[in-house]
Amino acid sequence: MPHASATQASETIFLVLRRMRTPLIVLIVIFAVSVLGLKLIPGQDAQGQPSRMGFFDAFYVMSYTASTIGFGEIPFPFTYGQRMWVTVAIYLTVIGWAYAIGSLLALLQDRAFRQAVALQRFRRRVARLREPFLLIAGYGRTGQLLGHAFDGLGRRIVVIDRSDDRIDDLELDSYRVDVPGLVGDVRDPGHLGIAGLGHPSCEAVLALTDDDEANLAVTMTAALLRPDLPVVARTTSPAIARQMRAFGTPSVVNPFDAFGDHLRLALHAPASYQLMVWLQSGPGAEPPPRGQPPRAGRWVVCGGGRFIRELARDLNAEGLDVAVVKPAAVAGTPDRDPSSTGDGSDPDRVDLRQAAGFVAGTDSDTTNLSLVAAALQANPDLFVAARQNRPASSPLFAMMAIDALLVPPELVAREVYAQLSTPLLRRFLREMPARGDRWAAGVIDQLTTLCGHHLQDLWKVRLSGREAPAVQAWLASGQARLGDLMREPVNRDEPLPAVPLLVLRGEDCSLAPDADFLLAVDDEILLAGRPTARRSLEATLLFETVTEYVVSGRRVPSSWIWRRLSRYEARPATDPTSPAPHDQ
Amino acid sequence: MNLEKVVFGFFVLLAATLNFGFFIGDIDDPALHNVYELFGAVVVSLIATVLKFGDRTQLGAVHLATSLVADLQLLAAALVWGYAEYVSSQGVTPGSMASVVSLSGGALLANLVSVVLLMVETVSFQRR
Repeated sequence: MPHASATQASETIFLVLRRMRTPLIVLIVIFAVSVLGLKLIPGQDAQGQPSRMGFFDAFYVMSYTASTIGFGEIPFPFTYGQRMWVTVAIYLTVIGWAYAIGSLLALLQDRAFRQAVALQRFRRRVARLREPFLLIAGYGRTGQLLGHAFDGLGRRIVVIDRSDDRIDDLELDSYRVDVPGLVGDVRDPGHLGIAGLGHPSCEAVLALTDDDEANLAVTMTAALLRPDLPVVARTTSPAIARQMRAFGTPSVVNPFDAFGDHLRLALHAPASYQLMVWLQSGPGAEPPPRGQPPRAGRWVVCGGGRFIRELARDLNAEGLDVAVVKPAAVAGTPDRDPSSTGDGSDPDRVDLRQAAGFVAGTDSDTTNLSLVAAALQANPDLFVAARQNRPASSPLFAMMAIDALLVPPELVAREVYAQLSTPLLRRFLREMPARGDRWAAGVIDQLTTLCGHHLQDLWKVRLSGREAPAVQAWLASGQARLGDLMREPVNRDEPLPAVPLLVLRGEDCSLAPDADFLLAVDDEILLAGRPTARRSLEATLLFETVTEYVVSGRRVPSSWIWRRLSRYEARPATDPTSPAPHDQ
Repeated sequence: MNLEKVVFGFFVLLAATLNFGFFIGDIDDPALHNVYELFGAVVVSLIATVLKFGDRTQLGAVHLATSLVADLQLLAAALVWGYAEYVSSQGVTPGSMASVVSLSGGALLANLVSVVLLMVETVSFQRR
């Protein structure tokens, strides 16, 4: 792993030592000359007999004189010769001290020196990390959103960004755990190395800067130096995405591309779209409002550039009639240029009253807002999609009745979160749209009734011998109904406040399995629910007595003696005595 | 010719020669060991130490270590002498003089190592 910047840091400290040489030597020489002079100049004792000061006396006098403490003339009052010398020595030593202390303070204020010290501290903090952590390169809006989402899951992160303002913000951000942050160029492999690219606990690299080139550089560095690490990179350019894919298998997130897919999903399956956004939003999120699918008709897409091209292609693929126009065609500004209208028509002929949907996709927020206002004025029933470019504009966009809003950083953050929080969630989101809108609405109802309106916790359970030793016999019996596992250990008639979203068996997955689903050994289950449900389920999977009660309703003594007395034998429970709490 | 090297070599050698001058003579005879020579040895040794600050090479690190050892030994010798002269009721006895000189002897060894390192550095530079 490259340590170029690390040696650079220690080099700076050596440089500081080197720069302190001259002040220190000046100080030593001044002291030596003053002490020697005081020793050599003849004095006299209390009886007027000639006497010379010892080296110790001279050093003592010079020490308190130079430091401006001034205890007086000892051991005997000075002669005039001695006083003259001490006068000279006072000025010399004051200059020496001022020079040495001034140089030291200047060095401590030195930018390079402080950076070197900060780098050393950062390096130590990263090296000391013992838990798995995510390396986030680029701490913009996306990085912040993801940092807080992963912090909510209890994951550690390490941040590297070019701007020191953002790194300073780390101290103010309310993270639960300490987040090491480095001001540095992510394109420098040395900086990435210090930020923990070579650390055995690093579990993934996230390239989230707003610069495609830098993200490509991070992807390349990670793929070449740590080919085993998963990499998630953000880009808006298909060409850069292709270059990224040439290095290993990074997962590339393109917000423009993803928005088109999301819009398509929102158009034909509003509930599926709602479920997807909710699950991607991280812990504590409320379900987003469910949109109404627009009626059939023409779509007017306003703007230009790569985003609009991607979007128009996606909408065309959906079988919609799409017209791409310039903003002037809608806003009705006087300086409009007829040749600039993409539809080949006069701006006035972009008839929004006949349109079904409208997209405001320019890269200026004020233009987008005025486009949306104009469109809604012309036709209040329009399905409106808009692109928000700056985070500061979000209160304005929130006040407009926008059906689908693209905020690139938030979209990227949600996509990355879905990929890295648990691998099963990604699988779930991939398979989910195929199950249809009504099915998704059912899952949302189940989630809201069992777990409330805030998404609590998403977690994965593996029914292996290590993670779930207590249920192995039950699973092997072939009668293990999922509904019997999802009961409260306190009162088995109560359902566990959690919803199994997906069961993965080998490569086959079953989405939102019902209570009669039969589990097998080594199944992986993705659950959404309250943290209490997570703890209860853990108890069920770990303790045989709890399992026995939850699965069959029999209370089993937990101690060895009582088991002997009641002649308990561990055997799989096959006949639940009460009906399952939430049979669908 | 590099002025820095001249100054560096000068102080390293001067520290060793002053140290040697103080050390030589009967170990317990105060008349044979000049207090000014010890003072000079301490000052020059401190300057040599500061000159060795900030060298990142392995040789530089050992240079600094030997100098620090020499400083420690010489300062200990000066302290013992000061204690004997001002604090102890017997004054400077042959016994206390012997410990001062033997401490400076230890410093001399460290200074000799320093000189050897200086020579090694010079010779290896010539070969390149």
